[in-house]
Amino acid sequence: MKAAKIAPWVAAGLALVGAGVAAFQPDQLRGFDVGGFSRLPVLEGGRLKPIDTVARNSLLMIRGQQSFVYQERTVGADEWILDVLFRPQVADAQPIFVINDPDVLGLIGLKQTKDRYFSFRQLLPHIAEIQRQAEAAHPIEAKERSRFQSAIVNLFDRVLLYHKLKNTVQLVGTSGLAAEVESAREPGAAERQAALVELAQFRPLPPPVGARGDKWRSTGEALRASASAGALDPGLPLLARVGWAYSFQEPSEFNKSVSDLKALTASLRPEALAQADHETVFNRAQPFYVGMVIYVLALLVIFASWLWKPEILRPAAFGLLAAGATVQTLGLVSRIILQGRPPVTNLYSSAVFVGWGAVILSIVLERIYKRGFAIAVGAAAGFASLLVAHHLSGDGDTMEMMRAVLDSNFWLATHVVAITIGYSGTFLAGAIAIAYALRRQFAPRLDPTSTKTLVSMTYGIVAFSLLFSFVGTVLGGIWADQSWGRFWGWDPKENGALLIVLWNAIILHARFGGFVREKGIMAMAIFGNVITSLSWFGVNMLGVGLHSYGFMDKAFYALSAFIGTQFLLMGLCLLPRQFWKPRASREVDGQQAAKA
Amino acid sequence: MAKPTKYPLLNALGSMQLTILLLALLMVLVFLCTLAQVDLGTFGAVAVYMRSFVVWWHVPGTAYSIPILPGGALVGLVLALNLVAQYVRIPFTVANLGLWLVHLGLILFVVGEFVSGAFQVDSQMAIEEGQTVNYIEGRDPELAVADVTDPVQDEIYGIGQGGLSREGVVELPGSPVSIKVHRFFRNADLTNRQPGDPASPVTRGVGTAVTVRPLPPVSRDDDMNRSAAFVEPLAGGRSYGVWLVSNVLGAPQSFIHEGRTYVLSMRSRRQYLPYSITLKKFSHDVYAGTDIPKNFSSLVRLHNPSRGEDREVLIFMNQPLRYDGKAFYQASFGKNDTLSILQVVENPGWRLPYVSCAMVTLGLLYHFGTRLRRSLKRREAAQAAAPAQSAAQEA
Repeated sequence: MKAAKIAPWVAAGLALVGAGVAAFQPDQLRGFDVGGFSRLPVLEGGRLKPIDTVARNSLLMIRGQQSFVYQERTVGADEWILDVLFRPQVADAQPIFVINDPDVLGLIGLKQTKDRYFSFRQLLPHIAEIQRQAEAAHPIEAKERSRFQSAIVNLFDRVLLYHKLKNTVQLVGTSGLAAEVESAREPGAAERQAALVELAQFRPLPPPVGARGDKWRSTGEALRASASAGALDPGLPLLARVGWAYSFQEPSEFNKSVSDLKALTASLRPEALAQADHETVFNRAQPFYVGMVIYVLALLVIFASWLWKPEILRPAAFGLLAAGATVQTLGLVSRIILQGRPPVTNLYSSAVFVGWGAVILSIVLERIYKRGFAIAVGAAAGFASLLVAHHLSGDGDTMEMMRAVLDSNFWLATHVVAITIGYSGTFLAGAIAIAYALRRQFAPRLDPTSTKTLVSMTYGIVAFSLLFSFVGTVLGGIWADQSWGRFWGWDPKENGALLIVLWNAIILHARFGGFVREKGIMAMAIFGNVITSLSWFGVNMLGVGLHSYGFMDKAFYALSAFIGTQFLLMGLCLLPRQFWKPRASREVDGQQAAKA
Repeated sequence: MAKPTKYPLLNALGSMQLTILLLALLMVLVFLCTLAQVDLGTFGAVAVYMRSFVVWWHVPGTAYSIPILPGGALVGLVLALNLVAQYVRIPFTVANLGLWLVHLGLILFVVGEFVSGAFQVDSQMAIEEGQTVNYIEGRDPELAVADVTDPVQDEIYGIGQGGLSREGVVELPGSPVSIKVHRFFRNADLTNRQPGDPASPVTRGVGTAVTVRPLPPVSRDDDMNRSAAFVEPLAGGRSYGVWLVSNVLGAPQSFIHEGRTYVLSMRSRRQYLPYSITLKKFSHDVYAGTDIPKNFSSLVRLHNPSRGEDREVLIFMNQPLRYDGKAFYQASFGKNDTLSILQVVENPGWRLPYVSCAMVTLGLLYHFGTRLRRSLKRREAAQAAAPAQSAAQEA
């Protein structure tokens, strides 16, 4: 009994300690304060962020991963960006461009290697051809491009991003930023400054005290200003020294220059430095990745509990689920603070939030019903949604600035959050129904009370989802009335939300009128997954309407596969009794016994 | 909950099977309407599926259309009847208070949709910086005959799409001129006349050098119909020739009758307002170093001499100007950020959804809240009873 009491705390404590250890990474690399450099704030995409975020997102876009193995050593994003900025000859040799499309490989005459990764140097002879093909494909609308056209445009965009990063601080092939500062007024310097302004991917130099918060400058702009006004931007010589020290591999000089640059930023923009620091901690902790791992552990432990020592393993699984929820909550809160926005601002964050809502709901259900199903379903939902979120994060910054029409924290906090909780609820009801269908096939024994518990959980969650999706839809209508002048415009995203409301209403009425029983409700709840996934992702694939904020081509197949599996599960759920596993007959006996 | 009455029709109309059938039909319509938007645009798809009583399917290769589904308007109407019929049968008790509120709210919602469908008017106002405008423009075309003789104020006579489509002689009340519409094209392709093109009835103006070919009208939100018509001004018993007018012809075309000059033009239907709006400044900010829009706003001056009003208003995203039953929204912009386009919406029923939604939300909260409390109480009681039971079994 005692072991059962402490099991959840031990399991949760171990998981949280593990998460803490994973968050810790050394700052020093071969004596260089790489961590200190990556914490410096810069302005990219209209937003202040640490160089660490720029490095991770860029590498994620170019390579699809946040680190890579080169010459039998793992190169992290922070080390990679230093090479890109200051030692391009090293970065050019690293295999960072992933190319999967066989036609693109054929076009540039590269052999399909084992790992499909190529260095910039390997691509260099073919750049002109890649650009020519990409420019030919560019005028075609994204959704009408062929596979080859999409792949070549995508490759060109990645090459361009790499090219811009390399030329952000100093132009490739020149003698570095220090020389550029010296010769800012000499003939020919103006052209180079113009090129730097044009190519800068981010703006590393903080604005002087008193200037507007978004007036960060690229090196090109700062050089130009110093050439015309004479006053040298105080950050320029420091950045030049950082570059010089790194390119000549002088650790002590590098570390000193980085700390000088940090001190300068602290005196000009202390809040930017603090925010960049926080974001770097967030990046390194990877709360959503760690949460995913903890949810898998919770799932494994709950599976094990059905075979062995349930009195200890079930509470331990609950502890793990709670630990996963804690990590995910911390991650969400961090994002809210960093962005200064409510939790859901784009497709990526909606996936994170849907999972979070489902996990929290299952924790509540487990506290009410205490039967372990909710742990399994919650852990599976949390894992699945974080996996989806992970696949949605490859397009770059997940905390991008909000377009003007969406720039309203009030509506983002009410309408979007309510709708997303409605998604959570509908998916959770579907997940419980799937658990019901699978359990009937695979569980060693079926007791009628458990089945009743599953049905009543599903019904309660459907009612909950109806409330939130209705309120969310209505709040969306009010927002639309405020900003576009119509309450309801039959826009695809609005229609998607309406479909969820209608479907949940149909489930409730069908059960209330007694037209469906246990199996029917469960199958309908699984169909709710189909409706919700179409409303959430499907409408973005149509590419019409005011809400089409994230077009995705690859996701189409994933969505089709998901819907296919849901139909299969519905079929499984609706199988008549004689197709269940043989021991089902015992349940019939049990039910009859209960009736008697 | 709903009790059967002695009227079988009322029972059938208020049955829950019908509710579910209607909700399912509505889902199908909404789904099809969403898919159709890819080809038809939002306006077109909504007209076909939602604002119609019957959805027709054109059998390919024939001239026939067959009805395949009831339209959104029919489903909505029957759903409202179904709600009312159920409503009168739900006993009004404290326990049912939530359900009462929800369904009353939904009835109001359907009513609101019908009011919007019947009375909502969407128009636009495009203003350049420094310009003063006292009219709004709709999507439909009109033929404007402007008497420009008076240099201070033009006298304008309009013929709407309805008058043009009837293709006959239209009198312009208050003017000696009448217009004979020979042919009207909702949408057409205008090209420079080539040798071998079919003969054209046009005898005057720039239209003599143009060939007009009819096109099917478009309804996508971002497409525009290029309307055209062959019109013949008649005045004082004589004809002033047949002219081609179209909203894509830029050149002004005019004729003189008894010393007065009349300009013919095809343009978007205009509604004149008893007040005017001047665009003082249009702002379009982007986030530093990107082209992601941060804000759009129009600083306008609202001038209404009849009410002695003259004030400045800032219209921006999520912040419309509501005035005189109309709402002006920042919708679009152009001409290098010097042209602001305001969406103008007039809908007398715009408050109904707010009321109905508040009712439904409160009703759902009340209903599910009381149900949840009851079910938790029942579980508590069952759990309290369970140990006693097992103890009894052991004994």
